Amino acid sequence: MIVCENVHKSYPLGHGRNRVLDGLNFTMNRGERFALLGRNGSGKSTLIKLIGGVELPDSGKIIRSMALSWPLGFVGGFQGSLTGADNARFIARIYGRQYRDIRDYVEDFSELGRQMKMPVRTYSSGMRARLAFALSLAIEFECYLIDEVIMVGDHNFQKKCVAELFEKRPDRGLIFASHSSQLVRQFCQRVLLLDAGKGTVYDDMEEGLGIYDGL
Amino acid sequence: MRSFRQGWAIQLRVWSALMIRELSTRFGRENIGFLWVMAEPLLFASLVGVIWRVWKGPEEHGIEIVAFVATGYIPLTLFRQAISRSVGAMKVNSSLLYHRQIKILDLLLVRFFLEVLGAMMAYIFIGVILMSIGIFPVPNDLGMFIGGWLIYCLFTLSLCLIVGPLSEMSEVVEKLIPVLVYVMIPFSGTFTLSSWLTPQAREVLAYSPPVSGMEMMRHGIFGGLVTPYYNFWAPFWFILIASMIGLGLCRRVRRMLIVE
Repeated sequence: MIVCENVHKSYPLGHGRNRVLDGLNFTMNRGERFALLGRNGSGKSTLIKLIGGVELPDSGKIIRSMALSWPLGFVGGFQGSLTGADNARFIARIYGRQYRDIRDYVEDFSELGRQMKMPVRTYSSGMRARLAFALSLAIEFECYLIDEVIMVGDHNFQKKCVAELFEKRPDRGLIFASHSSQLVRQFCQRVLLLDAGKGTVYDDMEEGLGIYDGL
Repeated sequence: MRSFRQGWAIQLRVWSALMIRELSTRFGRENIGFLWVMAEPLLFASLVGVIWRVWKGPEEHGIEIVAFVATGYIPLTLFRQAISRSVGAMKVNSSLLYHRQIKILDLLLVRFFLEVLGAMMAYIFIGVILMSIGIFPVPNDLGMFIGGWLIYCLFTLSLCLIVGPLSEMSEVVEKLIPVLVYVMIPFSGTFTLSSWLTPQAREVLAYSPPVSGMEMMRHGIFGGLVTPYYNFWAPFWFILIASMIGLGLCRRVRRMLIVE
């Protein structure tokens, strides 16, 4: 379960503060799949970072009671100067896995081949996404935090994600930030809509998407 | 108890992964690889030792001069390196904070451990080499030496815990640190023994934690050649209070840290 209670987050903006989240509340049960919608700058990435524990809220509480992936997005989680393989080894170590046990899966899913031996900073965003997904799927989390990133992959990668994340692991939870109503319809059951620092949960996808389109 | 053991297992796993990562980013796998970690203290101690030997002759107050310089310079290099590595340690490693089990304290601790490891290896290496050519004594009192080393290291760590978070809060700190570290050298006991000084100067230096550590280390090595002046409570209180302040600052800075 993930619970956010009255979460506030602001960032310095000139002499003042830019309030991004202003008293956000929601509860997500084990195995639920949330689409995180909102306009640019509405705080989707911020919320994902807070849920993932990358940054801390100014006030309020976030309770996590399941194994949560790190936020899978365009940035973060990797050290650019290290090779893909070294990053994979590092992540395997801190999550208590042996890299050799998950290596085949990671190499197969990411299809990076010889590029695993190149520094991650030379990777395209699609390549980073493939590596991050491969690792997080190999480590097996109960809930995945995904920030837009499926979009950057090619068709083949999207197909693989669908197969691995949604067909083979239907019991896993998901928080998926996206602007694509097509992907959201395909993957999620509920909508968490961010607007003016607050969040509203819509149990009916179409209702949520309708309101999102009207923003 | 079980959850404590699990937590500790995760902690060890994180530290070892971070160490390996830090070693491979800093030194790579080329030529001598991670042995570079002891290169800097080793080079410093031996080159300065040679300069002093040429400049001041073979002995200072009856102590072999190369050995004297080595025993002073290796801890000093540890101190300087550890402090300068803690500046900005959180910002440059912020992408690691994507993984919840890594805390900012771990980032500081790992960098500190690595410097201690390098300094210890350099110390043993240089000690063995100098001993084999007969200008370094067999340590007189290893317990005393280790006690002094611990005080010196903990003193360094407690300052790293303050410098690390402060450097994230203000750019000024980052710029002041090199100067402050340099100015601190006379209060570090590196180049003088307290017994060579006037009683007044000795009294002042007795309040400096690294002087106590250094005096103990040197007495542990040179035995009767060094009359050590050290006290236990000054370093104890200094380390305790500085660590508390440092840990408080770490908590504060974690809340405001912006991670890309």
